[in-house]
Amino acid sequence: MRLSDLLRADVLDPNGENVGQIHDVRLVKDGLDQGLFGPAYRVQGLVVGVGAWGSRLGYDRGGMKGPYPLKKLFQWFHGDAKFVEWSHVTGIGDNVVHVDMAKEELPAVPMLRQ
Amino acid sequence: MKKLLEITLGILTAIGGFVDIGDLVANAETGARFRMSLAWVVVVGVIGIVLYAEMAGRIATISKRPVFDVIRERLGPRLGLVNLVASFFINFLTVTAEIAGVALVLELASNVNYLLWIPLVALMVWMVIWRVRFSAMEKIYGFLGLALAVAVVAVWKSGQTHALLVQATHLHPPATESWPRYFYFAIALLGAAMTPYEVFFFSSGAVEEGWTPSDLMVNRMNVYIGFPLGGILSLAIMGGAAWLLAPRGISVDHLSQVALPVSHVLGKIGLVVFLFGMFMAIFGAALETALSAGYAVGQYFGWQWGKFVRPVEASRFHLVVLLTIILAAALALTTVDPIKVTEYSIVLAAAALPLTYFPILVVANDPDYMGDKTNSKFSNALAFIYLLLLIAVSVATIPLMIVTKAGA
Amino acid sequence: MGEPLVNETGGRIIDAGTHLLDRQISDKDGELVGKVDDLELTFPEGGAPGASPPFVSAILAGPGALGPRLGGGVGRVVSGTHAILHPSTRPGPARIAFGVVTKVAANVELAVSRDELDVVRVENWVREHIISKIPGAQHAPQ
Repeated sequence: MRLSDLLRADVLDPNGENVGQIHDVRLVKDGLDQGLFGPAYRVQGLVVGVGAWGSRLGYDRGGMKGPYPLKKLFQWFHGDAKFVEWSHVTGIGDNVVHVDMAKEELPAVPMLRQ
Repeated sequence: MKKLLEITLGILTAIGGFVDIGDLVANAETGARFRMSLAWVVVVGVIGIVLYAEMAGRIATISKRPVFDVIRERLGPRLGLVNLVASFFINFLTVTAEIAGVALVLELASNVNYLLWIPLVALMVWMVIWRVRFSAMEKIYGFLGLALAVAVVAVWKSGQTHALLVQATHLHPPATESWPRYFYFAIALLGAAMTPYEVFFFSSGAVEEGWTPSDLMVNRMNVYIGFPLGGILSLAIMGGAAWLLAPRGISVDHLSQVALPVSHVLGKIGLVVFLFGMFMAIFGAALETALSAGYAVGQYFGWQWGKFVRPVEASRFHLVVLLTIILAAALALTTVDPIKVTEYSIVLAAAALPLTYFPILVVANDPDYMGDKTNSKFSNALAFIYLLLLIAVSVATIPLMIVTKAGA
Repeated sequence: MGEPLVNETGGRIIDAGTHLLDRQISDKDGELVGKVDDLELTFPEGGAPGASPPFVSAILAGPGALGPRLGGGVGRVVSGTHAILHPSTRPGPARIAFGVVTKVAANVELAVSRDELDVVRVENWVREHIISKIPGAQHAPQ
C-alpha cells in the first residue's frame, strides 16, 4: 500500500457519516528493526480533518511564529481535526477508510511539538 | 577591512544586478506617460523586494532549502506543480525579454538589426553559464551594471531633480491618462521591482555559495542597502523620461528612447557608458533568469541542481537551462515585439507574486527550520501587509489588463 | 529545531505528510537524489488492517511515484516518462528500501551512494545521451 492511497481518503464512521479526509498519517518509530535505520516507522494513527487546504503549512504543529492573522486563520481551519488510532480502522477501500468509532467520540489531534 | 570590502562589493553588485530590461522599460515608459506620479510604486516595490529577498535568503542560508524546495513541501506536489508551471512560464517570457534586450543594446551600438544578434547573445549566455564560476559571474555583471548610474548623473546635471521630486508628490495620473491605466502601470512597476526570479536566484545562490549563518549580516547589508540604491537607479530612469520625453509626448516603444535623457545631457560619452551599463545589467539578468528556470524545475523534482557541481553531475538541470535559452531565443526570433514581451512578463510576474511569496513568508516563521531566526513581529506585520497587497494586485491584474488593453 | 516528540516507549513521533513526504533525499556523500514522492507501507505478516498497523518499508521516488500522486492526465504523463526509460514492461516506481535511510531530518539521508539506486535512471539517460556530449561537461566551472 502507498501512503498516497491513504492521504485524502474519506473516513467513514460506523453510522456511515463522513468524519473528514485523511490529512496526515502519524508514525512512531517503534516498529520492526530495519537494520541501519533501527526500528521502523509504524503507523500510529490517522489525522482526519475537513477542508484540506493549508494542512501542510505547519500552523497545526504549534510553534509557528506568525504572522498572527495567518496563524489564527489556519488554526481555525484545522482546529477540529480528529485523531484515529490505527486499532480503530476496520477496512480500507478505494479512497475510503472505515473506522469503528463514531464521529463525536473521536479525540482531537495531540500536538507534536513539545 | 576585508569584511568591509566584501560588503561593499556585495552592495555594488546588488545595485547593478537590481536593474534589468523590465525595470528599464517600465520606469522609462511610466516616466514618459505618467511623469513622476508613480514614483511611489518604486518605493513600495523596493521595500517589498527587500522583505521578500531577505526572507528567502535567510531561509536558504539557515535551512539550506531554496525557494522551490520549500514551495513543494508546504503546498504539496499538486499546488506546487501549478506554482512551478506558472512561475516557469513567466520566467520563460522574462528570459526571452532579457535576451532580446541584450540584442537591442547591441543593435543600438552597432546598427546591426537586433534579430541578427539574438543567436549570438543566446550562445554567449549559455556559454557563461556553462563555464564561468557562479560567484565570478554574479559579481562581474552586477558590478559593471553600475555604469547605469550615469542616468543618475544625467538627472542631476539636468537641474530637474527638485522639479521631479515635486512631481512625485502628485499621486494621480496626468490629464492624458486614466486611472485604470495608472494602476495598470503601477502593477507593471511593482512586477519589475519584485521579480520572482530575483528571489529564486538569490535563494539558490545562497546554497550555491554555501552561505552560513555568519554570512547573514553581509547578506542583509547587500539587500538593505543595495536594493534601495538600485531603486534610485530605477527612479533616475523614470525621472529622465519624465523631464525629457513626457513634455514632448514621446512614448517608449524602443530601447533607444530609454537612453535619450542620458545622451541629451551627457552627450556621446554618457551614452556609451549607459549602453555599456545596459548591456551588463541585462546580460546579467539573462544569466539569472536562465539559471532560475533550472533552479525552479530542479528544486521541485529534487534533482541535483546548481553550478557548484560539474555539469555532468546535474544533467537534467543543465538540460532545462539549455532548452530554456534555445526556446527563448526562438521566441525572440519570431520578431515578437521585445518591449511588449517585457511588459507582459513584468505584469504577469506581479500577478503571480503571491504564489511564491506566501510559502516563503510561512517558512520564515517556522522554528523547525529557522531556529531562533524566525521573523520579528515587526517584519511579520510588514510582510503580512505586503501579502495582502500582492493578493490585491494579483486579483486586479487581469481585469485591468483587459480594460486598458494591456496599457495601450 | 524543536524537541521531537516521543511516545512512552521512546519512539520518535512524526507526521508522514509533514516530515517525510516531498522531502529532499540526499545520499551518503550529500549529493541530491530526488524527493520522497511517496512511501510504501507494508503490513507485517501480510495481516489485515486492524490487526497490526503497517510500517514504512520504502521510499518511492521519481516519476513513477510522483505521477500517481499528481493524478489525472498530468500524472499519467509524468508516470509515462518513467515507463519509457525502464527496461521492464510495467515497472513499479523506483524504490529505496527504508533500511538504507540513516536520518530523517531536514533532508532524508541515505547510507548508500545514489549510483546504487534505481531512481537515477532519468538523470543517467540525460547525462549519457545529451549533456556529456557537450564539450566542457566534465570540468568544474572556472
